[in-house]
Amino acid sequence: MMKLEAVIQPSRFESVKDALREIGVEGMTVTEVRGHGRQKGHTEVYRGREYTVDLLPKIKLEMVLPDNLVNSVVDTILKSAKTGKIGDGKIFLSRVEEAIRIRNEERGENAL
Amino acid sequence: MTTAARPGWNRGVPPSKNMQESPTPLSVLGPQAEAERQKIRQSFESGTSARATLHALCELADHHVGQIFDEVLRVQNRAPDGLCLIALGGYGRRMLFPYSDLDILFLFGTDKTEQEFRPLISEFSRTLWDLGFRVSSAGRTLEECKRIEEDNAEFHLALLDRRLLAGDPTLFEKLDEKVLPGSEKQARPFLLAQLHKLTRDRLTRYGNTIFHLEPNVKESPGGMRDYQATIWLRQLAEEKKGIRNITAAEEEMCSSAVDFLSATRCFLHYNNGRNDNTLTYELQEAAAERALGIGDGVARTPSDWMRQYFRHARTLNRQLLRYLEQKAPVPLTLRQRLMNAARASKIEAGDGKYFQVRDGLLEVVDLSALSDRAITYSLFAESARTGTPLSREAERSIGYVLIHPELPPKNTEMPWEKLREILGSDYPSLALRPMQRLGLLMEILPEFGLIDSLVVRDFYHRYTVDEHTLRTIEHLQDLADSPDERGAHFAQLWKTAERRELLVLALLLHDVGKGMPVENHVTGSVAALDSAAKRLKLSPEEKSEIQSLIEHHLDMSATVQRRDIFDPATVAGFAESVTNQERLQRLCLLTYADIHAVNPEALTPWKAEMLWQLFVATSNYFSRTLDRDRLHAHDEVSLLGRIKAFAGAGSTEEIERFLEGFPRRYLAVHSPEEIAAHFGLYRKLSEEPVQAQVAATRHGFALTLLTPDRPALFSTISGVLAGWGMNINKADAFANAAGIILDTFYFTDLHRTLELNPSEITRFGKTLEDVVNGKTTLETLLKGRVSASRGRSPKVTVETRINFDDSSSAHCTLLEIVTQDRPGLLHEMGSALARLGCNIEVALIDTEGHKAIDVFYLTAQSKKLTAQKQELLREVLQGTLS
Repeated sequence: MMKLEAVIQPSRFESVKDALREIGVEGMTVTEVRGHGRQKGHTEVYRGREYTVDLLPKIKLEMVLPDNLVNSVVDTILKSAKTGKIGDGKIFLSRVEEAIRIRNEERGENAL
Repeated sequence: MTTAARPGWNRGVPPSKNMQESPTPLSVLGPQAEAERQKIRQSFESGTSARATLHALCELADHHVGQIFDEVLRVQNRAPDGLCLIALGGYGRRMLFPYSDLDILFLFGTDKTEQEFRPLISEFSRTLWDLGFRVSSAGRTLEECKRIEEDNAEFHLALLDRRLLAGDPTLFEKLDEKVLPGSEKQARPFLLAQLHKLTRDRLTRYGNTIFHLEPNVKESPGGMRDYQATIWLRQLAEEKKGIRNITAAEEEMCSSAVDFLSATRCFLHYNNGRNDNTLTYELQEAAAERALGIGDGVARTPSDWMRQYFRHARTLNRQLLRYLEQKAPVPLTLRQRLMNAARASKIEAGDGKYFQVRDGLLEVVDLSALSDRAITYSLFAESARTGTPLSREAERSIGYVLIHPELPPKNTEMPWEKLREILGSDYPSLALRPMQRLGLLMEILPEFGLIDSLVVRDFYHRYTVDEHTLRTIEHLQDLADSPDERGAHFAQLWKTAERRELLVLALLLHDVGKGMPVENHVTGSVAALDSAAKRLKLSPEEKSEIQSLIEHHLDMSATVQRRDIFDPATVAGFAESVTNQERLQRLCLLTYADIHAVNPEALTPWKAEMLWQLFVATSNYFSRTLDRDRLHAHDEVSLLGRIKAFAGAGSTEEIERFLEGFPRRYLAVHSPEEIAAHFGLYRKLSEEPVQAQVAATRHGFALTLLTPDRPALFSTISGVLAGWGMNINKADAFANAAGIILDTFYFTDLHRTLELNPSEITRFGKTLEDVVNGKTTLETLLKGRVSASRGRSPKVTVETRINFDDSSSAHCTLLEIVTQDRPGLLHEMGSALARLGCNIEVALIDTEGHKAIDVFYLTAQSKKLTAQKQELLREVLQGTLS
């Protein structure tokens, strides 16, 4: 099992969600986050006051996947989240030792 | 209600004998109890009333409690002297729901009897548990009952519903007649304060509304706990002593509400198989199907059945709030008293004979006057204007008059002028809430009735549609008083929003389509606006603005969530759909309120920040692209027709010539009626080359001036205003294709010269014409005036920012200035621009407190300003503004 964390543009979230649903990904955790990588911040001046956004709004997706789904999910996110501009985000993968469903204590991939 | 035992309770030595040794063993009693429970359940499901069901459950519990108690005593070979069992809370009131706990107090005569009976009590509780009764027990000696446990008010409140179950009757008599009357009297202020606190905390936990999509029929506002708290408030207020503070009709409504909610709670317990009181969507369907609590057996839709539920919940909640308000145990602070006094004096000056302020609430003085709706409406308008809520008694009085035919109402129609006063005030929600509760809102705006108590199943929404709608307005109203992190940016937008009534009416109607059989609720809401606009006689402009807000009410939220708001193309596209700054401001506030009212967590700081960024970017887009979008009058067929109708004179071609080439924003900031008046002035230019008009507005005066372009015109006009001691708050300057300048200045009359001497308006107009025509010099007028005002030091310091922008406009250089506002400022800036040969093509002047925010579109010899000129201008302006 792998844990996938993807930080994407908020504007791409709906497309990514729809695309993942199409390939059978049912569950994910979504968080509104702020951050930046290479993308610079954004400054607007309104009525003499400067509004600087150093940490840009992003959406973070988290999901734990059975090994056989990992590649297709990564491909799907890459395709649906990409705009080609700086700030499109990143995907992180890490191995998961165990998953347990609290309701019935199922373990492993059955618990996903 | 928890009546937790003292520490150490039920930890006694295990009994030496137990019930298995009794002649009626558990193996017999258990199935008997269960069979009885099933019988009661079947009886309820086949139509027996909740009242009878609760009574039967209580009888069953009483029977077993008595039987087990006797058995335990018998097995232990004890008499019950010095011990009695007392039912508390709901069980004490004989309102025992299928899976509720049995709240029982074990009362001991002395410490010694407590020690002796401890093992017996443990056995008793265990046995009842084994029979399927959940006992929530507490134990006290008679002596302990005299003391008030300050950290356990719940116990003392539950004790108000005491009822002897079994044991020593003389001990109970001592408690009931000697001990408690004294201690309860002494503890009354404490208990009242605690009951208020517990109740307020609970109501706050549920958002202070009955209108939850999946309410908890026990704990939510309007639930059974409201009823219980009301009973206690009445008991503590000593109503038993003969002062009836509730009418027979109200008592009857309460009774039927309790029956309905009791039936619902029984139904939930039976369906959930536990003490779970959440009225889920699935159970709403099942309850509606069997017309639960209605009794006619005719299946309802879940929405219709929930309307019944909310009607009853409203009755219980209204009663509770009335008692909470009446018996406020906390004295008012000095500040509150001073505020009341200040507010009271304001109202004395208005309609003092009909209502007054007491304890910070509006009270009705002359009840008979309420049959005149005009007076009732002015009570609501007063509440919305001053921020003083109506007392529950005032609301009750209005409610009484509304349903009593011996008081025939007059002046029932609420004209748009009066409704506008309420909707456009600082506290619209303070009037709209009671108006909704009393049914007046639906009378005035029947379209709102479509969403009355309407449950629309939605994963995100927590409240019914009407509640969501009223919350949107409350969230805006709350922006005026120190909003939280999410609202901080939007507070200024709310404070400066013009024509708020349009925004608030748009909010009232934005979701009414959800109560219509239409595919897209926005279509329905717009249709509702059509009928409301006709009835209220809204002007076409008012209707058009509200319609636009309704049609676009989801756009800003969608753009924030689905588009890259930092992409200029997104901003340009969004700006195009919004069309102008004023609408953007309203739409932004509407979106803020709409998201906020979905549920308490819906508007995250993240979303609020995104919304604000889109607003700022779009606002800047508007101010930087003003000269891009010019009017081609020939294409504006409907506008031409409307202006012609208002003007009453002049040909269409003439109107076209007048309008041609004005920035499109001109249409956004002036109504067709105003434009027609401008056209009237335009037609007189051939007689007199300077046409000026001064009119009083809501916040001050407006000066409109039309003249062929001439050097330093803007600085000259602002100089005349400064010379007369007027403070310019806002201005715009536009030019049409023929070089006719139309300047509008909104100003306040600092010395009340024009207000106190109306004849001065004519002299002011004459001075203006003379100065513009060069017949009088400005210097004479200004002498002394500006220098005097310069001596005063400002309360807030604003740093000066001067910014040039060459990229936003194809023909002009944009100059954006933010600086400290002061009298004569605009004249000084205008003069500096004129001295350096800069021509103002378009100007937008605004103020925000002590801050002047100005945008000028400049040319020099019909071209953009060169870099050298910009530097020179920056230097000069910095010198002028410092």
